Amino acid sequence: MSYLIPILFLALFFYAIAKKKKPYESFVKGIKTVPPLVLSLFPYLAAMFLLTELCTASGLTDLLVSLLSPVVRPLGIPEEILPLLLLKPFSGSGSTALLSEILSAYGADSFISRCACTCYGSSETIFYVASVYFAGLDFKTGKPILISLFVTFLSTIVACLLVRFL
Amino acid sequence: MNVIFCVLFILASILMLVKSPESYLSALLAGGEKAGSLCIFLLASYAVWMAFFALVTDTGLDRKFAKLCHPILKLLFRTRDEETLSFLSSNLSCNLLGLAAATPLGIKATNLLFRQGQKRDLAMLFVVNATSLQILPTTVFSLRSAAGSLAPTDIFLPTLLSTLFSTVLGVLLVKVIYR
Repeated sequence: MSYLIPILFLALFFYAIAKKKKPYESFVKGIKTVPPLVLSLFPYLAAMFLLTELCTASGLTDLLVSLLSPVVRPLGIPEEILPLLLLKPFSGSGSTALLSEILSAYGADSFISRCACTCYGSSETIFYVASVYFAGLDFKTGKPILISLFVTFLSTIVACLLVRFL
Repeated sequence: MNVIFCVLFILASILMLVKSPESYLSALLAGGEKAGSLCIFLLASYAVWMAFFALVTDTGLDRKFAKLCHPILKLLFRTRDEETLSFLSSNLSCNLLGLAAATPLGIKATNLLFRQGQKRDLAMLFVVNATSLQILPTTVFSLRSAAGSLAPTDIFLPTLLSTLFSTVLGVLLVKVIYR
C-alpha cells in the first residue's frame, strides 16, 4: 500500500514529460487554488470545533452516552464504543484518538475493539464533510445529513453483527 | 445544521455554567486552536494533492479517466458537464483509495454542481462522501498493529461489507427522496 503514492507520482511525471507538459508550472497552478480554499473553510471548521470542544469539556458527551446506552445495547452495539459513535460524525482526529484509547483499554483483538475498528472504518465525519462541502453555498443541507446519519447508524448495527460472525 | 448547533451549544454551555464556568473560555479557545492547526495541516495536504491533480488535468488524464468511469457516474449523477464529471470521477477514486485528495476535489465538484443547480447531484455527492467508501482502512490497520494486534487486518471484511451497505442504502435513499 505504501508503494502506491510514489508510483502514482512517478507515473504521472513520466507521462507528463512524454506529453511535453511542464510539471513545475502545473504544480504551482494547482497550489495557487489552495490558500483561498482553506481560508474559506476556516470559519466553518472553527465554529464546529468550538462546539465539539464545549461538548467534551462540559461532559455533555458523557451525559449523552449514559442516556443512549440502554437504547443501543439491545441492538448489539457494545456501549463502550458509544463515545466513538457520537464523536466520529464531528471529528476525525478526535475519533482517531478515541479509537486508539479503546484499543489500549480493551486489547486490540477484543470484541469491543474489533467493533470499534469496524465502525470507525466504515463511517465518515459527516458534519465535518457537510461543513466543508457546503461552505458558503445556499443549499438546504438537512436532508442529505439526515440520510447519511441514518444510513451510518444502520451500518453500525450491521458492523457489530458482522464482527460477531465473521 | 443551525438547529443542531444551537441545541448542543446551549446545552453544553448550561452544563459548563453549572459545573466549571472558569474553564468555559479555555474550552472555546482550545476549539479555535484546533481549527487553526487543522487548517495548517489542510494547507499542506491540499497543496500536495491539488498540485498532483493540476498536472493530471494538464496532461488530459482526468478526461480519459472520467470516460472510463462514465457507466458508474451515469448511474449516480445527472450532470453531463465534462469538467464536473472529471472532478467527480477523481473524487470517487480518491475516496476508494483513501487519499486525502478526495476532499478538495469534492469541494470543486460541489461548487460546479451548485452553479448548475443540480440539487440531486449535490445530495448524491455528499451522501457518497459522507458514508465512506474506502476499500482499505489503512489508519485502522496501523492503529491496531500499534496496539499489538495479532491479526490487524481481520476487520477488513466486516468493514468493507458495512461500508458498502451504508453507501448503497444512502444512494438508494437519495434516488427515492429526490426522485
